[in-house]
Amino acid sequence: MSDHLLSKDEMKKVDDYLDRGFKVHYVYENLSGMFVEFNRQEEEVCLQILTADARKYFAAKLQEQTLLQEGMSI
Amino acid sequence: MADLRIDLAGIKSPNPFWLASAPPTNSGYQVQRAFEAGWGGAVWKTLGEPILNVSSRFAAVSYNGQRVAGFNNIELITDRPLEVNLQEILETKKRFPNHAIIASLMVEPKQEKWHEIVKKVEAVGVDGLELNFGCPHGMAERGMGAASGQVPELVEKQTYWAKEVARTPVIVKLTPNITDITVTAEAAVRGGADAVSMINTINSLAGVDLDSWNTVPHVGGKGAHGGYSGAAVKPIALNMVAECARNPFVNVPISGIGGISNWRDAAEFMLMGATGVQVCTAAMHHGFSIVEDMIDGLNNYLDEKGIASVMDIVGQSVQRYSNWGDLDLNYKIVAEINNEVCINCNKCHIACEDTAHQCIDLYTESGRPMLKVREQDCVGCNLCAIVCPVEGAISMVERMSTIAPMTWNERQSIISSFAR
Ligand SMILES: Cc1cc2nc3c(=O)[nH]c(=O)nc-3n(C[C@H](O)[C@H](O)[C@H](O)COP(=O)(O)O)c2cc1C
Repeated sequence: MSDHLLSKDEMKKVDDYLDRGFKVHYVYENLSGMFVEFNRQEEEVCLQILTADARKYFAAKLQEQTLLQEGMSI
Repeated sequence: MADLRIDLAGIKSPNPFWLASAPPTNSGYQVQRAFEAGWGGAVWKTLGEPILNVSSRFAAVSYNGQRVAGFNNIELITDRPLEVNLQEILETKKRFPNHAIIASLMVEPKQEKWHEIVKKVEAVGVDGLELNFGCPHGMAERGMGAASGQVPELVEKQTYWAKEVARTPVIVKLTPNITDITVTAEAAVRGGADAVSMINTINSLAGVDLDSWNTVPHVGGKGAHGGYSGAAVKPIALNMVAECARNPFVNVPISGIGGISNWRDAAEFMLMGATGVQVCTAAMHHGFSIVEDMIDGLNNYLDEKGIASVMDIVGQSVQRYSNWGDLDLNYKIVAEINNEVCINCNKCHIACEDTAHQCIDLYTESGRPMLKVREQDCVGCNLCAIVCPVEGAISMVERMSTIAPMTWNERQSIISSFAR
């Protein structure tokens, strides 16, 4: 898969989790990419994000979630 | 006609173009001819401890037919007696009272030596002093020049000693042969410098002769490292000026030096914080008359922009020079190829395919070879536009980002709040 398609796929996964009500509760990055743990009540999933574009995208989503949690309009 | 006069730490000159301390300012004859040609100021060839020069002294790096892309020298400071220089400075100042004459000085790092030379040069009416802490060869082996200029404590102390007796403004000329020039610039300011100038030459060896295996240049079969200057060093010098200009502790005017060859270079240095500029290699390559185009070009530029005084552009670009971590990760540009102008040399395709992101496709349309950028894979690196030989064939165009601006620093701060 091209980097572009892979990043689109990864962005879609991020959107899917967020749309389904998952919240980000843990994030770390290492040489293998970005690892995001989402949770929804008892459910927990870990997403590995490989592409640079999707890592940028995820950070923007994380900012949105943070602002929403702080009750600010985005 | 814009007002080209500058005032650098109290040193006034009719325009921002000064000759740097070097062979063009070796004698009264030369400096007077330079002033007649239009130069606004001259930093006299460095006066100081007795030296002797060698033969040969210079070498140039020519690149793809461009003569003197860079210039290498192993020349030291003046080898003429101090009294002769002082007499010529006196005469030159008398003939050109409104031009700036700055005495460049280099003595051993001893208080009495600095006191003695400062008093002597000020007695003949110089407008300012430039302390040469930058000469990278020869003098450095004797503990002066760059050897002093690489030690912040010595920069501070010697500046302080010069300032103890100086009645004219003191400019400290910094060496680029150091990891972070702001450290020595700050030291100069702590020592009381009224201004800093940069850069002196960069340690260099111009080449090795493949037939004789001698260094270039060589002195009877032996070489020593020299100092590099000319167009090739401009980006290095410009960055150093900018780093000092945006450092709040370097809160003195800057005289910009290094690879300045035309009015555009000068304007760039001034936008990045230099109050005036000094030129050496370009004058050595083309003669004093280059200043005419520099003056005309700068004048026209200011007139076209509706700017009344050249002092008004000083530092205007400094706030745009930031840290990498404060750049917007989501800003996006992509390459756009104009096939009407493109000559199908395919340099962009080769560069992108071999060394970048493989996003320029070759295709044919009605039997005609064409090139197209796959925007989704283009990272906006500029390489294709850089290698393209045809003006206007490749443009880098902005694309609205679908995600909000975010810097690396902002991103890290958000992510860190989700760490365990
Ligand atoms: C041949 C030569 C001799 C130089 N001598 C001196 C000197 O005596 N004192 C000094 O401060 N700088 C000296 N310089 C450095 C220049 O003043 C200037 O800092 C440097 O060449 C960068 O400017 P440019 O790229 O316009 O040449 C010399 C440079 C050259 C090329």
